[in-house]
Amino acid sequence: MRVIVVGAGLAGLTAATDLAAGGAQVSVVEARDRVGGRTHGIEVAPGSWVDAGAAYLGERHTELNALLAELGLKTTPTTMTGESRFALGHGDQTRPGRFPPLSAVALGDMFELLDELTRTIRLDAPWLTPNASYLDSVTALEWAQRKLTHPDSQLFFPLFLGEMMAADPADVSVLHMAFYLSSGGGTRYLNAFEGGAQQDRVYGGAHQICEELAARLGDRIRLGEAVRAIRQNSAEVVVCTDSGELRGDVAVVAVPPLLAQAIDFTPALPVRRATQFTRGCAVKVHLVYPGPLWRAQGLSGWSVSAQGPLLSTVDDSPADGSVGVLTGFVTGLQAHRFSALNTPTQRGEAVAHAAHLFPDLPPPIGFYVTDWVHEEYSHGCYAALFGPGDWIRHGPHLRTPHQRVHWAGTETSTEFFGLMEGAVRSGHRVAAEILTRHYSLGGTA
Amino acid sequence: MMVDGVTDIFRRVLETGEVGTESDFFALGGDSLLATRVLSAIARKYGVELSFDDFVLASTPGTLARRIASATP
Ligand SMILES: Cc1cc2nc3c(=O)[nH]c(=O)nc-3n(C[C@H](O)[C@H](O)[C@H](O)COP(=O)(O)OP(=O)(O)OC[C@H]3O[C@@H](n4cnc5c(N)ncnc54)[C@H](O)[C@@H]3O)c2cc1C
Repeated sequence: MRVIVVGAGLAGLTAATDLAAGGAQVSVVEARDRVGGRTHGIEVAPGSWVDAGAAYLGERHTELNALLAELGLKTTPTTMTGESRFALGHGDQTRPGRFPPLSAVALGDMFELLDELTRTIRLDAPWLTPNASYLDSVTALEWAQRKLTHPDSQLFFPLFLGEMMAADPADVSVLHMAFYLSSGGGTRYLNAFEGGAQQDRVYGGAHQICEELAARLGDRIRLGEAVRAIRQNSAEVVVCTDSGELRGDVAVVAVPPLLAQAIDFTPALPVRRATQFTRGCAVKVHLVYPGPLWRAQGLSGWSVSAQGPLLSTVDDSPADGSVGVLTGFVTGLQAHRFSALNTPTQRGEAVAHAAHLFPDLPPPIGFYVTDWVHEEYSHGCYAALFGPGDWIRHGPHLRTPHQRVHWAGTETSTEFFGLMEGAVRSGHRVAAEILTRHYSLGGTA
Repeated sequence: MMVDGVTDIFRRVLETGEVGTESDFFALGGDSLLATRVLSAIARKYGVELSFDDFVLASTPGTLARRIASATP
């Protein structure tokens, strides 16, 4: 069986690896000149890497942890010690722990409401959630305007959603918000570092996962070839790039839904893969210092600000201690604004913001901006955002094969949707789907 | 009794039955996010708004019930 995999991110490469192990003849076609997709490493000092894309994982991310072990990659804890900095409009404050200086009861009311919603979600089929048609018709912004009465929760809600899913509340349906929180293990798990989804990082960078998988797949991977069209008939499937055609028995499309939708299918897809979807909007900023200088002042590097650009910061210093790295997250509406600025202005704003949060920081020795909003082959991040109507319209078809074409990618996983774990699970799922279908039809390798 | 009410809130939020009067919220896996949900439930049930710092200083059902009692008008 010849299988063509489109996309060399975690989903595509996991699928390709399983399919090859199952005896299939696999080719992977990747648009970029690198593998990894939404994981990407930046070398900030010789041999020291930081994550420009996905970075964090937790214990419940079992498939990802298993993959890391298989590839001989290690994790390193994100343990934070020291106090946090908050700039939430009541003057700057330094406080122990990550709890913001806002009304605990107001934030608790908000988390109770979110928990109540999250509990109702049918995770295997979100479109069948009780009251789905209502939840899918209202944006998270409308929900918040109706439900959150305290100014502190009104202030915190968009920051929280930005941090969790890089979404502006106007862009997602309540169903998607609640689904996302439920899929990731609930608000507490998703939000937590220790004991949560941000417990660890991949030692040396998450980009190594795809690089290791790719090294094992060798010349089965073709880089720098964007797939433009996929044709199929009863005999075969033909995947067309600018430089040629690949013929196979089956294809796996492992790219985000908006990019899958941009491929020209013959016969046409019976249902579109995306309509209302907006791009998640995240820009990651890395400020590199000679060391984690904030720690000397008893600060953890964690901060939350109501005004941009750096809505939150975290200490992402490489474990080898070579340099200090402060990662700034610019998400939601701020990401759109920031991403439109020229580089010197971006640098000026980010450096000033960091110096304001962590007094006495010298100018950084390195500065990197990774703008996922405008990455042609990601189309926004962390993941696709489902707007009103999307789950009911597209949800039931996300994983339904289009004849010889099967679907993978983190957006096709209802478990850990939007995360690396979801991508890996989707890769295993699609490979099993294809191998089962092939061998149950009496196929041979 | 108020302490039973607070214990019930702990159980619901922590999703465990293993909560006694002297159980410490943070030792049972609670964190600041879950703590706010306890404070929200207490405000609804007893009409007392405590701060996160109050909670850190009284993080068992027993101590928290006393804290609520002393704040009740
Ligand atoms: C800033 C940021 C932070 C994140 N943080 C985390 C985190 O801390 N933890 C976590 O678990 N997840 C995080 N994520 C999400 C995580 O990166 C993704 O869920 C995961 O990497 C998705 O993998 P995938 O294989 O489904 O898709 P992708 O990685 O997007 O792979 C798709 C691949 O297809 C290629 N492609 C697209 N179109 C075509 C085409 N037409 N032809 C050929 N190839 C094509 C792309 O170039 C890409 O390589 C983050 C993402 C970002 C951007």
